[in-house]
Amino acid sequence: MSSAAASDAGAEIADLLGDQLARLFIKKVTREALAAAEQGRFDIALWKEITDIGAASALASEAVGGAGLSWAQAGGLLQSLGAHAPPVPLGETMLASWMLALAGIEALGAPLTVAGGLLQVDGEGRVSGEDALLSWAPHAAAIVAVAQGAGGRQLVLLATADAELTAQRTLDRLPAARVAMRGVQPLNIAPAPTVLGATGLLAPLAVLRAQQLAGGLAQVLALCVDYANTRSQFGKTIGKFQAIQHQLAELAELTAAAQVAAGYAARQLDSGNADSAERGAAVAKIRAGLSATRGAAIAHQVFGAIGTTDEHILHYHTRRLWQWRDEAGSEAWWAEWLGHRLLAAGGAELWSGIVSRD
Amino acid sequence: MSAAFHYPPFEIPPELDGLRREVRAFLSEASQQWSGWDIGHSWMGFDRAFSRAVGQRGWIGMTWPRAYGGHGRSALERYVVVEEMLAAGAPVGAHWVGDRQSGPLLLRIGSESQKQRFLPKIAAGEAAFCIGLSEPGSGSDLASLRSRATRVDGGWKLNGRKIWTTYAEHCDFMIGLFRSQGTAEVERHKGLSQFLIDLRSSGLEIRPIVDLTGEAHFNEIVFDDVFVSDALLVGRENEGWAQANAELAFERSGPDRYMSSFPLLPLAIDAVCEAGTIDRLSARRIGEALADIVTLREMSLSILGQLAAGHTPAQEAALTKDLGTTFEQRLPELVREITDNAPVISAGDKLSEMQAYLMQSVPSYSLRGGTREIMRGIIARGLGLR
Repeated sequence: MSSAAASDAGAEIADLLGDQLARLFIKKVTREALAAAEQGRFDIALWKEITDIGAASALASEAVGGAGLSWAQAGGLLQSLGAHAPPVPLGETMLASWMLALAGIEALGAPLTVAGGLLQVDGEGRVSGEDALLSWAPHAAAIVAVAQGAGGRQLVLLATADAELTAQRTLDRLPAARVAMRGVQPLNIAPAPTVLGATGLLAPLAVLRAQQLAGGLAQVLALCVDYANTRSQFGKTIGKFQAIQHQLAELAELTAAAQVAAGYAARQLDSGNADSAERGAAVAKIRAGLSATRGAAIAHQVFGAIGTTDEHILHYHTRRLWQWRDEAGSEAWWAEWLGHRLLAAGGAELWSGIVSRD
Repeated sequence: MSAAFHYPPFEIPPELDGLRREVRAFLSEASQQWSGWDIGHSWMGFDRAFSRAVGQRGWIGMTWPRAYGGHGRSALERYVVVEEMLAAGAPVGAHWVGDRQSGPLLLRIGSESQKQRFLPKIAAGEAAFCIGLSEPGSGSDLASLRSRATRVDGGWKLNGRKIWTTYAEHCDFMIGLFRSQGTAEVERHKGLSQFLIDLRSSGLEIRPIVDLTGEAHFNEIVFDDVFVSDALLVGRENEGWAQANAELAFERSGPDRYMSSFPLLPLAIDAVCEAGTIDRLSARRIGEALADIVTLREMSLSILGQLAAGHTPAQEAALTKDLGTTFEQRLPELVREITDNAPVISAGDKLSEMQAYLMQSVPSYSLRGGTREIMRGIIARGLGLR
């Protein structure tokens, strides 16, 4: 199959998969389902339905039974994880399965999670190190991580049962833990795929979070527009007030910027070049993080007091925006990382770096 | 979920790297004489000799047919040239409006004789154009304009006033919007027509307006029975509003809507490096700026792709312009945050000169081409709020 035909087929699969998932999420990911998940109930039935559709292996190559979608093709799908916020580690498992397939390691067909921090591997292949915050670790069968060793960076698959987990409370109230590995024998190990640079899995994890932030912002924008067109004060719907219109126009701008930046990062990941992938991840996480920061504030201002109540759906989305913007490197962290590189290169290199494709 | 805006990716292919290198080589030579103050003017820098040199290289009217002095090149090739010019802060003002707006308008709806007469001159960098829209009583509320075109034997008589016309005293021609039918109160945006006006016509007085930078970039123009022949009506009588609006997606989404302050950034980077240790705040601010530039460039390219495919992405253009001008306005403040420069203009110090000019110039960036408030109104309508 030519690459153009493959790309058309991929786009079609992505659309089909996206439609199926969106329907499933609208039906199953209710406020009640989100509340139950935040009280610690893992929705195994939802997970099974998602994996039956084949979503967990959407990014994994067709050679290992995945859908072989590119990150760019999967953009809509990843953003729908942000918009509907299904309380399962689907994005993490998609990323993990993609990585494992690239490294030639068999996936487990179970929920997986991804460590953004670098671990160490010793001469006998035992893995040690810590990750301060690993989302979904308590419900993941295994952890995909990058471990630095004498022979370079290795991709490792670790059984969660072999790690020490300390539960962490987070703003999104979803299962997460500090994870420590002390000389753990990995289930599998292989040289880290070349798309990963010095930041390891942090870059693709940042792209995943940026996509989720973009989707979450789009959902919050839709909720705000709907509310502004129905809530009446002073004899008219509040959306008729220019003060509200301009705040929502700004929210639309912030949402569009996050979407575009996340889409850019996805294409950089697809290029397979580690430098491009890291740069794209930085751009996307900075832009999406800044958008989420201002965007969540606008949404709460537009919704007024009702939007701050527990019974309202809004905080399920805004708390996730606040969580995701700080996971896999905050906008400040990535901005500093990127800024140091630009400063090291010097002013004369700035513009050529912006327009170059690698 | 159906969104109110779409930004399908559109990329510049590697085949255009050669053209990019050519433009850079030309600019590195031409830029030797430019001060920081000059570079700060960006596309408001007016230099006829420079525009002629650009025209000689075939970089004006690039996408127009060769029959009209154009070069039959792609919109992407033009984009590469334009963004290289802006990155260098080149004084493109003498051909900017003709290349971006007036030429494309004439190509689309102008008469055959108008195309033959004006397009080759624009492409050669010989004819400078300005746009006559705003009036003293009609700023953002453009449909209220009152300057009038009255039918006379063989053509029209123009009366009234236009304001904020960029560099009218240096330009050769204006495309102006005049009321040819009805009144501002009743007909509003109906009954407006566009005319090609020779700025040396009798009855026409051009008064420079000195702005807060101490320079005159704008003018007020008084029309007192200025005659234009029938042959200089642009497009259709009374259809001027729709014709003028169709240009706006081009005007609002180009790289000129986010790059006007760009040349500050490389200088700021070097200033931070020269100061010695690189602090965290400087690194963060520069990293944030890059994320914005890359995102805005992606948005601008996407709109270019949509325009090239025959769409009119008015929502996306308004949204991108507001984000882009906000970014342009941010850059001089960013420089203040990360350098400890004194508030003096040191001759020969490019950063201080450019910073001084831009600090005074950026307030107009969210006014020109449609104010921030107008952009947000367009976006709100697209969201279904109006």
